[in-house]
Amino acid sequence: MSADPAKVLPMNARSKPKIVAKGVQKNFGSVVAMEDVTLSIQEREFIAIIGPSGCGKSTFLYLIAGFEKPSGGELTLNGKAIRGPGPDRGVVFQEFVLFPWLTVLRNITLGLDIQGVKREEAEERALKWIRLTGLSGFENAYPSTLSGGMKQRVAIARALTYEPEVLLLDEPFGALDVQTKNYMIKDLQNLWQEANRTIVMITHSVTEAVHMADRVVVLSSRPSRVIADVRIDVPHPRDRRNPSMHRYEDEITAILSAEVDKAMSLERQIGLL
Amino acid sequence: MTAISTGDATQAKGGASTSLTRVAGFVTFILPIAAFLAFWEAVVWFGLADATILPAPSMVLVRGWSLLNPANSEHSLLLMHIGASLWRALAAFVLACFVAIPLGFALGLSKGAYRALSPLLSLLLPLPAVAWTPIFLVAFGQGEITIIGVCFLGAFFPILYSTIQGVRGIDVHSIWVVRSMGAKPMDLFRRVLLPGALPALISGLKLGMAHSWRTLVAAEMLAALSFGLGYMIFAARSYMDVSTMFVGIVCLAVIGLLIEHAIFGTLERMTVARWHSSGKVRGAR
Repeated sequence: MSADPAKVLPMNARSKPKIVAKGVQKNFGSVVAMEDVTLSIQEREFIAIIGPSGCGKSTFLYLIAGFEKPSGGELTLNGKAIRGPGPDRGVVFQEFVLFPWLTVLRNITLGLDIQGVKREEAEERALKWIRLTGLSGFENAYPSTLSGGMKQRVAIARALTYEPEVLLLDEPFGALDVQTKNYMIKDLQNLWQEANRTIVMITHSVTEAVHMADRVVVLSSRPSRVIADVRIDVPHPRDRRNPSMHRYEDEITAILSAEVDKAMSLERQIGLL
Repeated sequence: MTAISTGDATQAKGGASTSLTRVAGFVTFILPIAAFLAFWEAVVWFGLADATILPAPSMVLVRGWSLLNPANSEHSLLLMHIGASLWRALAAFVLACFVAIPLGFALGLSKGAYRALSPLLSLLLPLPAVAWTPIFLVAFGQGEITIIGVCFLGAFFPILYSTIQGVRGIDVHSIWVVRSMGAKPMDLFRRVLLPGALPALISGLKLGMAHSWRTLVAAEMLAALSFGLGYMIFAARSYMDVSTMFVGIVCLAVIGLLIEHAIFGTLERMTVARWHSSGKVRGAR
Protein backbone atom coordinates (compact mmCIF):
# COMPACT_ATOMS: atom_id res chain seq x y z
CA MET A 1 0.00 0.00 0.00
CA SER A 2 3.02 2.30 -0.17
CA ALA A 3 2.60 5.40 -2.30
CA ASP A 4 4.39 5.19 -5.57
CA PRO A 5 5.42 8.73 -6.56
CA ALA A 6 4.93 7.95 -10.23
CA LYS A 7 1.31 7.15 -9.53
CA VAL A 8 0.75 10.35 -7.58
CA LEU A 9 1.54 12.55 -10.53
CA PRO A 10 -1.40 11.71 -12.83
CA MET A 11 -3.76 12.98 -10.16
CA ASN A 12 -2.48 16.47 -10.79
CA ALA A 13 -2.10 16.11 -14.54
CA ARG A 14 -5.53 17.41 -15.44
CA SER A 15 -6.82 16.82 -18.93
CA LYS A 16 -10.44 17.57 -19.79
CA PRO A 17 -13.62 18.25 -17.84
CA LYS A 18 -15.24 15.00 -16.70
CA ILE A 19 -18.32 16.32 -14.96
CA VAL A 20 -19.83 19.70 -15.80
CA ALA A 21 -22.69 21.31 -13.91
CA LYS A 22 -24.21 24.45 -15.43
CA GLY A 23 -26.82 26.27 -13.34
CA VAL A 24 -28.11 23.03 -11.87
CA GLN A 25 -31.36 23.41 -9.97
CA LYS A 26 -33.22 20.98 -7.79
CA ASN A 27 -36.63 21.43 -6.23
CA PHE A 28 -38.40 19.05 -3.88
CA GLY A 29 -42.01 20.05 -4.27
CA SER A 30 -42.08 23.74 -3.40
CA VAL A 31 -38.71 23.65 -1.61
CA VAL A 32 -35.80 24.93 -3.66
CA ALA A 33 -32.90 22.77 -2.54
CA MET A 34 -30.42 23.86 -5.17
CA GLU A 35 -30.62 27.19 -6.90
CA ASP A 36 -27.68 27.45 -9.25
CA VAL A 37 -24.74 25.10 -8.94
CA THR A 38 -22.11 25.65 -11.60
CA LEU A 39 -19.01 23.53 -11.36
CA SER A 40 -16.54 21.77 -13.58
CA ILE A 41 -14.70 18.68 -12.40
CA GLN A 42 -11.64 17.56 -14.32
CA GLU A 43 -10.69 14.03 -15.18
CA ARG A 44 -8.79 12.25 -12.37
CA GLU A 45 -9.45 15.15 -10.02
CA PHE A 46 -10.32 14.54 -6.39
CA ILE A 47 -12.81 17.14 -5.31
CA ALA A 48 -14.42 17.54 -1.93
CA ILE A 49 -17.76 19.29 -1.58
CA ILE A 50 -18.44 20.87 1.77
CA GLY A 51 -21.25 23.01 3.14
CA PRO A 52 -23.54 23.63 6.10
CA SER A 53 -25.70 20.67 7.06
CA GLY A 54 -28.88 20.39 5.05
CA CYS A 55 -27.45 22.44 2.18
CA GLY A 56 -28.06 19.75 -0.42
CA LYS A 57 -24.52 18.38 -0.74
CA SER A 58 -25.76 14.84 -0.93
CA THR A 59 -28.48 15.84 -3.36
CA PHE A 60 -25.79 17.11 -5.71
CA LEU A 61 -24.01 13.76 -5.47
CA TYR A 62 -27.24 11.88 -6.15
CA LEU A 63 -27.77 14.07 -9.22
CA ILE A 64 -24.35 13.07 -10.55
CA ALA A 65 -25.07 9.45 -9.68
CA GLY A 66 -28.34 9.71 -11.60
CA PHE A 67 -30.54 8.68 -8.67
CA GLU A 68 -32.29 12.05 -8.81
CA LYS A 69 -33.04 14.28 -11.79
CA PRO A 70 -32.18 17.99 -11.87
CA SER A 71 -35.16 20.36 -12.04
CA GLY A 72 -33.21 22.78 -14.22
CA GLY A 73 -29.81 23.47 -15.70
CA GLU A 74 -27.40 21.07 -17.30
CA LEU A 75 -25.41 18.24 -15.80
CA THR A 76 -23.09 16.26 -18.04
CA LEU A 77 -20.66 13.40 -17.72
CA ASN A 78 -18.11 13.11 -20.55
CA GLY A 79 -20.14 15.77 -22.38
CA LYS A 80 -23.36 13.73 -22.28
CA ALA A 81 -26.37 14.59 -20.12
CA ILE A 82 -26.80 12.26 -17.13
CA ARG A 83 -30.01 10.28 -17.56
CA GLY A 84 -29.81 7.73 -14.78
CA PRO A 85 -27.44 5.62 -12.72
CA GLY A 86 -24.81 3.61 -14.53
CA PRO A 87 -21.71 1.48 -13.97
CA ASP A 88 -19.47 4.37 -15.06
CA ARG A 89 -20.13 5.89 -11.60
CA GLY A 90 -19.56 4.05 -8.34
CA VAL A 91 -21.19 5.25 -5.13
CA VAL A 92 -20.09 4.77 -1.52
CA PHE A 93 -22.69 5.72 1.07
CA GLN A 94 -22.20 6.94 4.60
CA GLU A 95 -24.18 3.98 5.93
CA PHE A 96 -22.11 1.48 3.91
CA VAL A 97 -25.23 -0.25 2.50
CA LEU A 98 -23.69 -3.71 2.37
CA PHE A 99 -25.85 -6.70 1.60
CA PRO A 100 -26.10 -8.83 4.76
CA TRP A 101 -26.90 -11.96 2.72
CA LEU A 102 -23.65 -11.79 0.78
CA THR A 103 -20.17 -12.55 2.11
CA VAL A 104 -17.49 -9.86 1.94
CA LEU A 105 -16.18 -11.36 -1.29
CA ARG A 106 -19.63 -11.59 -2.91
CA ASN A 107 -20.43 -8.03 -1.82
CA ILE A 108 -17.26 -6.85 -3.52
CA THR A 109 -17.77 -8.85 -6.73
CA LEU A 110 -21.43 -7.81 -6.95
CA GLY A 111 -20.85 -5.15 -9.60
CA LEU A 112 -18.97 -7.62 -11.80
CA ASP A 113 -21.55 -10.37 -11.15
CA ILE A 114 -24.31 -8.05 -12.32
CA GLN A 115 -22.30 -7.21 -15.42
CA GLY A 116 -22.09 -10.93 -16.18
CA VAL A 117 -18.35 -11.30 -15.56
CA LYS A 118 -17.35 -14.94 -14.92
CA ARG A 119 -17.02 -15.83 -11.25
CA GLU A 120 -13.30 -16.70 -11.37
CA GLU A 121 -12.46 -13.51 -13.22
CA ALA A 122 -14.59 -11.44 -10.86
CA GLU A 123 -12.82 -12.92 -7.84
CA GLU A 124 -9.47 -12.34 -9.47
CA ARG A 125 -10.27 -8.67 -10.02
CA ALA A 126 -11.74 -8.27 -6.55
CA LEU A 127 -8.63 -9.70 -4.97
CA LYS A 128 -6.56 -6.61 -5.75
CA TRP A 129 -8.95 -4.31 -3.92
CA ILE A 130 -9.46 -6.76 -1.07
CA ARG A 131 -5.71 -6.68 -0.55
CA LEU A 132 -5.45 -2.89 -0.87
CA THR A 133 -8.30 -2.25 1.55
CA GLY A 134 -6.78 -4.66 4.07
CA LEU A 135 -9.67 -7.11 3.95
CA SER A 136 -7.60 -10.21 3.19
CA GLY A 137 -8.72 -13.10 5.35
CA PHE A 138 -12.28 -11.75 5.69
CA GLU A 139 -13.48 -12.81 2.23
CA ASN A 140 -15.95 -15.35 3.57
CA ALA A 141 -17.20 -13.34 6.55
CA TYR A 142 -20.71 -11.94 6.55
CA PRO A 143 -20.99 -8.14 6.97
CA SER A 144 -22.78 -8.46 10.32
CA THR A 145 -19.53 -9.73 11.87
CA LEU A 146 -17.47 -6.72 10.75
CA SER A 147 -16.70 -3.47 12.54
CA GLY A 148 -17.83 -0.12 11.11
CA GLY A 149 -14.42 0.66 9.63
CA MET A 150 -14.22 -2.72 7.94
CA LYS A 151 -17.73 -2.38 6.57
CA GLN A 152 -16.74 0.92 5.01
CA ARG A 153 -13.69 -0.73 3.44
CA VAL A 154 -15.95 -3.36 1.91
CA ALA A 155 -18.18 -0.61 0.52
CA ILE A 156 -15.17 1.17 -0.95
CA ALA A 157 -13.68 -2.02 -2.39
CA ARG A 158 -17.08 -2.88 -3.85
CA ALA A 159 -17.26 0.44 -5.68
CA LEU A 160 -13.66 0.19 -6.92
CA THR A 161 -13.81 -3.40 -8.15
CA TYR A 162 -16.09 -2.80 -11.11
CA GLU A 163 -13.82 0.09 -12.08
CA PRO A 164 -16.17 3.02 -12.53
CA GLU A 165 -14.68 6.14 -14.12
CA VAL A 166 -16.03 8.30 -11.32
CA LEU A 167 -16.15 7.50 -7.64
CA LEU A 168 -18.86 9.28 -5.65
CA LEU A 169 -18.39 9.29 -1.87
CA ASP A 170 -21.27 10.46 0.30
CA GLU A 171 -19.71 11.35 3.68
CA PRO A 172 -17.76 8.10 3.58
CA PHE A 173 -16.36 8.53 7.08
CA GLY A 174 -19.43 10.08 8.66
CA ALA A 175 -20.61 6.91 10.39
CA LEU A 176 -17.19 6.03 11.81
CA ASP A 177 -15.78 6.97 15.19
CA VAL A 178 -12.97 9.52 15.27
CA GLN A 179 -10.15 7.05 15.69
CA THR A 180 -11.28 4.71 12.94
CA LYS A 181 -11.91 7.73 10.75
CA ASN A 182 -8.41 9.17 11.16
CA TYR A 183 -6.92 5.80 10.48
CA MET A 184 -9.06 5.28 7.39
CA ILE A 185 -8.24 8.72 5.97
CA LYS A 186 -4.53 8.12 6.35
CA ASP A 187 -4.74 4.60 5.07
CA LEU A 188 -7.00 5.30 2.15
CA GLN A 189 -5.04 8.25 0.77
CA ASN A 190 -2.76 5.74 -0.84
CA LEU A 191 -5.73 3.82 -2.06
CA TRP A 192 -7.10 6.89 -3.85
CA GLN A 193 -3.81 7.28 -5.65
CA GLU A 194 -3.90 3.64 -6.65
CA ALA A 195 -7.50 4.01 -7.80
CA ASN A 196 -6.52 6.96 -9.99
CA ARG A 197 -10.11 8.01 -10.69
CA THR A 198 -12.19 11.13 -10.72
CA ILE A 199 -13.47 11.34 -7.16
CA VAL A 200 -16.26 13.50 -5.76
CA MET A 201 -16.50 13.36 -1.98
CA ILE A 202 -19.22 14.96 0.11
CA THR A 203 -18.10 15.79 3.62
CA HIS A 204 -18.84 18.12 6.50
CA SER A 205 -15.29 17.95 7.84
CA VAL A 206 -12.90 20.66 6.66
CA THR A 207 -9.89 18.65 7.85
CA GLU A 208 -11.02 15.63 5.89
CA ALA A 209 -11.56 17.73 2.76
CA VAL A 210 -8.23 19.58 2.93
CA HIS A 211 -6.39 16.43 3.77
CA MET A 212 -7.59 14.39 0.84
CA ALA A 213 -8.87 16.54 -2.03
CA ASP A 214 -7.18 18.48 -4.83
CA ARG A 215 -10.00 21.00 -4.72
CA VAL A 216 -12.49 21.94 -2.07
CA VAL A 217 -15.82 23.39 -3.19
CA VAL A 218 -17.92 25.18 -0.58
CA LEU A 219 -21.69 25.25 -1.05
CA SER A 220 -23.96 27.84 0.56
CA SER A 221 -26.87 26.93 2.78
CA ARG A 222 -30.17 26.18 1.07
CA PRO A 223 -30.85 27.00 -1.71
CA SER A 224 -27.30 26.05 -2.51
CA ARG A 225 -24.81 27.76 -4.79
CA VAL A 226 -21.04 27.43 -5.03
CA ILE A 227 -19.55 30.14 -2.78
CA ALA A 228 -15.90 29.12 -2.84
CA ASP A 229 -13.66 26.88 -4.89
CA VAL A 230 -10.25 26.37 -3.26
CA ARG A 231 -7.39 24.47 -4.88
CA ILE A 232 -5.26 22.66 -2.31
CA ASP A 233 -1.74 22.94 -3.65
CA VAL A 234 -0.04 20.43 -1.39
CA PRO A 235 1.53 17.32 -2.90
CA HIS A 236 0.30 13.87 -1.90
CA PRO A 237 0.75 12.08 0.42
CA ARG A 238 -0.04 14.91 2.75
CA ASP A 239 1.18 15.38 6.25
CA ARG A 240 -1.21 16.60 8.91
CA ARG A 241 1.55 18.84 10.33
CA ASN A 242 2.22 20.72 7.08
CA PRO A 243 1.60 24.44 7.93
CA SER A 244 0.10 25.29 4.54
CA MET A 245 -2.59 22.68 5.22
CA HIS A 246 -3.55 24.63 8.34
CA ARG A 247 -3.79 27.82 6.31
CA TYR A 248 -6.19 26.10 3.89
CA GLU A 249 -8.17 24.71 6.77
CA ASP A 250 -8.47 28.16 8.38
CA GLU A 251 -9.47 29.77 5.10
CA ILE A 252 -12.21 27.26 4.37
CA THR A 253 -13.44 27.18 7.95
CA ALA A 254 -13.78 30.98 7.86
CA ILE A 255 -15.88 30.85 4.68
CA LEU A 256 -18.00 28.07 6.06
CA SER A 257 -18.69 29.65 9.45
CA ALA A 258 -19.58 32.98 7.83
CA GLU A 259 -22.13 31.07 5.74
CA VAL A 260 -23.51 29.23 8.75
CA ASP A 261 -23.80 32.53 10.70
CA LYS A 262 -25.66 34.12 7.83
CA ALA A 263 -28.05 31.20 7.57
CA MET A 264 -28.67 31.17 11.31
CA SER A 265 -29.35 34.91 11.58
CA LEU A 266 -31.68 34.66 8.58
CA GLU A 267 -33.55 31.86 10.29
CA ARG A 268 -33.80 33.95 13.44
CA GLN A 269 -35.18 36.91 11.48
CA ILE A 270 -37.79 34.67 9.91
CA GLY A 271 -38.59 33.37 13.36
CA LEU A 272 -39.18 36.96 14.62
CA LEU A 273 -41.51 37.85 11.78
CA MET B 1 -39.51 -24.20 21.46
CA THR B 2 -37.20 -21.64 22.97
CA ALA B 3 -34.94 -24.39 24.21
CA ILE B 4 -34.55 -25.83 20.74
CA SER B 5 -33.73 -22.52 19.10
CA THR B 6 -31.17 -21.71 21.80
CA GLY B 7 -29.58 -25.06 21.20
CA ASP B 8 -29.39 -24.31 17.50
CA ALA B 9 -27.85 -20.90 18.03
CA THR B 10 -25.07 -22.44 20.09
CA GLN B 11 -24.67 -25.12 17.51
CA ALA B 12 -24.26 -22.55 14.74
CA LYS B 13 -21.11 -21.31 16.44
CA GLY B 14 -19.60 -24.71 15.77
CA GLY B 15 -17.28 -26.81 17.87
CA ALA B 16 -16.94 -30.43 18.91
CA SER B 17 -19.72 -30.28 21.48
CA THR B 18 -22.46 -29.58 18.92
CA SER B 19 -24.24 -32.92 19.20
CA LEU B 20 -24.03 -32.69 22.98
CA THR B 21 -25.65 -29.22 22.99
CA ARG B 22 -28.30 -30.58 20.67
CA VAL B 23 -29.11 -33.41 23.06
CA ALA B 24 -29.10 -31.01 26.01
CA GLY B 25 -31.40 -28.68 24.09
CA PHE B 26 -33.77 -31.53 23.32
CA VAL B 27 -33.81 -32.65 26.95
CA THR B 28 -34.60 -29.16 28.26
CA PHE B 29 -37.38 -29.01 25.68
CA ILE B 30 -38.92 -32.38 26.49
CA LEU B 31 -38.56 -32.28 30.29
CA PRO B 32 -41.35 -29.79 31.11
CA ILE B 33 -43.69 -31.64 28.73
CA ALA B 34 -42.89 -34.99 30.37
CA ALA B 35 -43.44 -33.48 33.82
CA PHE B 36 -46.77 -32.07 32.72
CA LEU B 37 -47.88 -35.45 31.30
CA ALA B 38 -46.85 -37.23 34.50
CA PHE B 39 -48.87 -34.75 36.56
CA TRP B 40 -51.88 -35.21 34.31
CA GLU B 41 -51.59 -39.00 34.51
CA ALA B 42 -51.47 -38.82 38.32
CA VAL B 43 -54.48 -36.50 38.48
CA VAL B 44 -56.59 -39.01 36.54
CA TRP B 45 -55.34 -42.10 38.38
CA PHE B 46 -56.01 -40.60 41.77
CA GLY B 47 -59.54 -39.87 40.66
CA LEU B 48 -59.19 -36.09 40.84
CA ALA B 49 -60.57 -35.84 37.30
CA ASP B 50 -63.33 -37.74 35.54
CA ALA B 51 -61.62 -40.09 33.04
CA THR B 52 -64.63 -40.00 30.72
CA ILE B 53 -64.02 -36.27 30.20
CA LEU B 54 -60.30 -36.04 30.79
CA PRO B 55 -58.64 -39.34 29.84
CA ALA B 56 -55.12 -40.01 31.13
CA PRO B 57 -52.22 -39.63 28.65
CA SER B 58 -51.77 -43.40 28.74
CA MET B 59 -55.38 -43.93 27.61
CA VAL B 60 -54.88 -41.40 24.79
CA LEU B 61 -51.73 -43.24 23.78
CA VAL B 62 -53.53 -46.59 23.68
CA ARG B 63 -56.35 -45.09 21.64
CA GLY B 64 -53.83 -43.46 19.32
CA TRP B 65 -52.09 -46.76 18.74
CA SER B 66 -55.32 -48.57 17.95
CA LEU B 67 -56.24 -45.84 15.47
CA LEU B 68 -52.80 -45.99 13.95
CA ASN B 69 -52.60 -49.77 13.84
CA PRO B 70 -53.69 -50.98 10.41
CA ALA B 71 -54.60 -54.40 11.89
CA ASN B 72 -57.96 -52.97 12.98
CA SER B 73 -59.03 -52.04 9.49
CA GLU B 74 -57.69 -52.16 5.97
CA HIS B 75 -55.72 -48.91 6.32
CA SER B 76 -54.38 -46.92 9.22
CA LEU B 77 -57.32 -44.69 10.02
CA LEU B 78 -55.24 -42.10 11.82
CA LEU B 79 -52.73 -41.79 9.00
CA MET B 80 -55.56 -41.26 6.54
CA HIS B 81 -56.97 -38.47 8.71
CA ILE B 82 -53.53 -36.89 9.01
CA GLY B 83 -52.88 -37.27 5.28
CA ALA B 84 -56.17 -35.61 4.37
CA SER B 85 -55.49 -32.71 6.74
CA LEU B 86 -51.90 -32.20 5.65
CA TRP B 87 -52.86 -32.22 1.99
CA ARG B 88 -55.55 -29.59 2.52
CA ALA B 89 -53.41 -27.30 4.69
CA LEU B 90 -50.41 -27.54 2.35
CA ALA B 91 -52.47 -27.08 -0.81
CA ALA B 92 -54.04 -23.97 0.68
CA PHE B 93 -50.64 -22.70 1.82
CA VAL B 94 -48.98 -23.22 -1.56
CA LEU B 95 -51.87 -21.57 -3.38
CA ALA B 96 -51.69 -18.64 -0.95
CA CYS B 97 -47.95 -18.30 -1.61
CA PHE B 98 -48.47 -18.22 -5.36
CA VAL B 99 -50.95 -15.37 -5.05
CA ALA B 100 -49.76 -13.47 -1.97
CA ILE B 101 -46.01 -13.24 -2.66
CA PRO B 102 -46.20 -11.67 -6.16
CA LEU B 103 -49.03 -9.41 -5.01
CA GLY B 104 -47.02 -8.48 -1.91
CA PHE B 105 -44.04 -7.47 -4.03
CA ALA B 106 -46.26 -5.40 -6.31
CA LEU B 107 -47.93 -3.63 -3.40
CA GLY B 108 -44.64 -3.18 -1.58
CA LEU B 109 -43.05 -1.52 -4.59
CA SER B 110 -45.95 0.67 -5.66
CA LYS B 111 -46.76 3.39 -3.15
CA GLY B 112 -49.99 4.25 -4.90
CA ALA B 113 -51.30 0.69 -4.95
CA TYR B 114 -50.36 0.26 -1.30
CA ARG B 115 -52.13 3.47 -0.29
CA ALA B 116 -55.22 2.36 -2.17
CA LEU B 117 -55.34 -1.15 -0.71
CA SER B 118 -53.89 -0.85 2.78
CA PRO B 119 -57.16 0.23 4.49
CA LEU B 120 -58.85 -2.82 3.03
CA LEU B 121 -55.95 -5.04 4.08
CA SER B 122 -55.86 -3.80 7.64
CA LEU B 123 -59.57 -4.61 7.82
CA LEU B 124 -59.19 -8.14 6.43
CA LEU B 125 -55.97 -9.10 8.22
CA PRO B 126 -57.39 -9.51 11.75
CA LEU B 127 -60.52 -11.24 10.43
CA PRO B 128 -60.55 -14.97 11.32
CA ALA B 129 -60.77 -16.90 8.06
CA VAL B 130 -63.17 -19.40 9.67
CA ALA B 131 -65.82 -16.70 9.56
CA TRP B 132 -66.03 -17.26 5.81
CA THR B 133 -66.80 -20.98 6.17
CA PRO B 134 -70.62 -20.71 6.11
CA ILE B 135 -70.45 -18.54 3.02
CA PHE B 136 -68.17 -21.04 1.29
CA LEU B 137 -70.51 -23.83 2.40
CA VAL B 138 -73.43 -22.08 0.77
CA ALA B 139 -71.44 -21.49 -2.40
CA PHE B 140 -69.54 -24.77 -2.78
CA GLY B 141 -71.13 -27.20 -0.31
CA GLN B 142 -69.15 -29.55 1.91
CA GLY B 143 -65.83 -30.84 0.63
CA GLU B 144 -62.32 -29.99 -0.44
CA ILE B 145 -63.04 -26.70 -2.22
CA THR B 146 -64.63 -25.15 0.85
CA ILE B 147 -61.95 -26.37 3.27
CA ILE B 148 -59.01 -25.42 1.06
CA GLY B 149 -60.67 -22.12 0.19
CA VAL B 150 -61.08 -21.14 3.84
CA CYS B 151 -57.52 -22.23 4.70
CA PHE B 152 -56.27 -20.27 1.71
CA LEU B 153 -57.78 -17.13 3.20
CA GLY B 154 -56.19 -17.97 6.54
CA ALA B 155 -52.74 -18.28 4.99
CA PHE B 156 -53.10 -15.51 2.42
CA PHE B 157 -53.22 -12.37 4.55
CA PRO B 158 -50.24 -13.00 6.83
CA ILE B 159 -48.08 -13.90 3.82
CA LEU B 160 -49.25 -10.89 1.84
CA TYR B 161 -48.80 -8.52 4.75
CA SER B 162 -45.33 -9.77 5.66
CA THR B 163 -44.18 -9.63 2.04
CA ILE B 164 -45.34 -6.04 1.76
CA GLN B 165 -43.60 -5.11 5.02
CA GLY B 166 -40.43 -6.89 3.91
CA VAL B 167 -40.30 -5.08 0.58
CA ARG B 168 -41.12 -1.72 2.11
CA GLY B 169 -38.40 -2.21 4.71
CA ILE B 170 -35.69 -2.41 2.06
CA ASP B 171 -33.42 0.64 2.19
CA VAL B 172 -33.68 2.68 -1.00
CA HIS B 173 -29.90 3.07 -0.92
CA SER B 174 -29.41 -0.65 -1.42
CA ILE B 175 -31.54 -0.41 -4.55
CA TRP B 176 -29.44 2.55 -5.66
CA VAL B 177 -26.22 0.60 -5.12
CA VAL B 178 -27.15 -2.15 -7.57
CA ARG B 179 -28.74 0.26 -10.02
CA SER B 180 -25.47 2.17 -10.15
CA MET B 181 -23.83 -1.15 -11.04
CA GLY B 182 -26.07 -1.36 -14.08
CA ALA B 183 -28.60 -3.82 -12.63
CA LYS B 184 -31.60 -4.68 -14.76
CA PRO B 185 -35.02 -5.12 -13.10
CA MET B 186 -34.48 -8.90 -12.86
CA ASP B 187 -31.10 -8.39 -11.14
CA LEU B 188 -32.72 -5.93 -8.78
CA PHE B 189 -35.38 -8.46 -7.85
CA ARG B 190 -33.05 -11.45 -7.52
CA ARG B 191 -30.15 -9.73 -5.78
CA VAL B 192 -31.82 -7.13 -3.56
CA LEU B 193 -35.60 -7.27 -3.32
CA LEU B 194 -35.99 -11.00 -2.73
CA PRO B 195 -33.14 -11.51 -0.22
CA GLY B 196 -33.93 -8.15 1.39
CA ALA B 197 -37.54 -9.12 1.98
CA LEU B 198 -36.69 -12.69 2.96
CA PRO B 199 -36.52 -12.31 6.77
CA ALA B 200 -40.01 -10.81 6.83
CA LEU B 201 -41.16 -13.20 4.14
CA ILE B 202 -40.09 -16.25 6.12
CA SER B 203 -41.94 -15.10 9.21
CA GLY B 204 -44.90 -14.47 6.92
CA LEU B 205 -44.70 -18.02 5.57
CA LYS B 206 -44.47 -19.36 9.11
CA LEU B 207 -47.52 -17.38 10.16
CA GLY B 208 -49.34 -18.31 6.96
CA MET B 209 -48.77 -22.03 7.46
CA ALA B 210 -49.75 -21.77 11.13
CA HIS B 211 -52.95 -19.96 10.20
CA SER B 212 -53.71 -22.46 7.48
CA TRP B 213 -53.26 -25.30 9.99
CA ARG B 214 -55.44 -23.65 12.62
CA THR B 215 -58.17 -22.66 10.22
CA LEU B 216 -58.18 -26.18 8.85
CA VAL B 217 -59.49 -27.74 12.05
CA ALA B 218 -62.53 -25.52 12.25
CA ALA B 219 -63.17 -25.79 8.53
CA GLU B 220 -62.97 -29.58 8.66
CA MET B 221 -65.37 -29.74 11.56
CA LEU B 222 -67.92 -27.85 9.49
CA ALA B 223 -67.21 -28.94 5.97
CA ALA B 224 -65.38 -32.28 5.84
CA LEU B 225 -67.30 -35.28 4.51
CA SER B 226 -65.22 -38.21 5.72
CA PHE B 227 -61.58 -37.53 6.64
CA GLY B 228 -59.33 -35.04 8.34
CA LEU B 229 -58.19 -34.47 11.92
CA GLY B 230 -60.85 -31.82 12.47
CA TYR B 231 -63.48 -34.21 11.17
CA MET B 232 -62.12 -37.00 13.37
CA ILE B 233 -62.32 -34.89 16.50
CA PHE B 234 -65.78 -33.61 15.69
CA ALA B 235 -67.14 -37.01 14.67
CA ALA B 236 -65.86 -38.58 17.91
CA ARG B 237 -68.24 -36.41 19.93
CA SER B 238 -71.24 -38.47 18.75
CA TYR B 239 -69.77 -41.52 20.54
CA MET B 240 -68.49 -39.53 23.53
CA ASP B 241 -65.08 -40.81 22.46
CA VAL B 242 -62.94 -38.27 24.32
CA SER B 243 -59.72 -40.26 23.88
CA THR B 244 -60.00 -40.00 20.09
CA MET B 245 -60.54 -36.27 20.41
CA PHE B 246 -57.36 -36.02 22.43
CA VAL B 247 -55.49 -38.11 19.87
CA GLY B 248 -56.58 -35.59 17.26
CA ILE B 249 -55.54 -32.63 19.40
CA VAL B 250 -52.12 -34.12 20.11
CA CYS B 251 -51.61 -34.85 16.39
CA LEU B 252 -52.53 -31.25 15.52
CA ALA B 253 -50.06 -29.87 18.05
CA VAL B 254 -47.18 -32.20 17.14
CA ILE B 255 -47.60 -31.80 13.38
CA GLY B 256 -47.88 -28.02 13.75
CA LEU B 257 -44.66 -27.96 15.75
CA LEU B 258 -42.87 -30.22 13.28
CA ILE B 259 -43.89 -28.08 10.32
CA GLU B 260 -42.64 -24.94 12.04
CA HIS B 261 -39.31 -26.44 13.05
CA ALA B 262 -38.53 -28.89 10.31
CA ILE B 263 -39.53 -26.71 7.36
CA PHE B 264 -39.25 -23.11 8.45
CA GLY B 265 -36.54 -23.64 11.04
CA THR B 266 -34.35 -25.17 8.34
CA LEU B 267 -35.17 -22.39 5.90
CA GLU B 268 -34.23 -19.81 8.53
CA ARG B 269 -30.99 -21.54 9.45
CA MET B 270 -30.01 -21.69 5.80
CA THR B 271 -30.63 -18.01 5.18
CA VAL B 272 -31.44 -15.33 7.72
CA ALA B 273 -29.66 -16.89 10.70
CA ARG B 274 -26.42 -17.20 8.74
CA TRP B 275 -26.45 -13.57 7.67
CA HIS B 276 -26.89 -12.30 11.20
CA SER B 277 -24.64 -14.65 13.09
CA SER B 278 -23.45 -11.84 15.34
CA GLY B 279 -26.89 -11.69 16.89
CA LYS B 280 -27.75 -8.26 15.55
CA VAL B 281 -31.16 -7.82 14.06
CA ARG B 282 -29.90 -6.08 10.95
CA GLY B 283 -26.42 -6.54 9.57
CA ALA B 284 -26.05 -3.69 7.13
CA ARG B 285 -26.14 -0.62 9.22
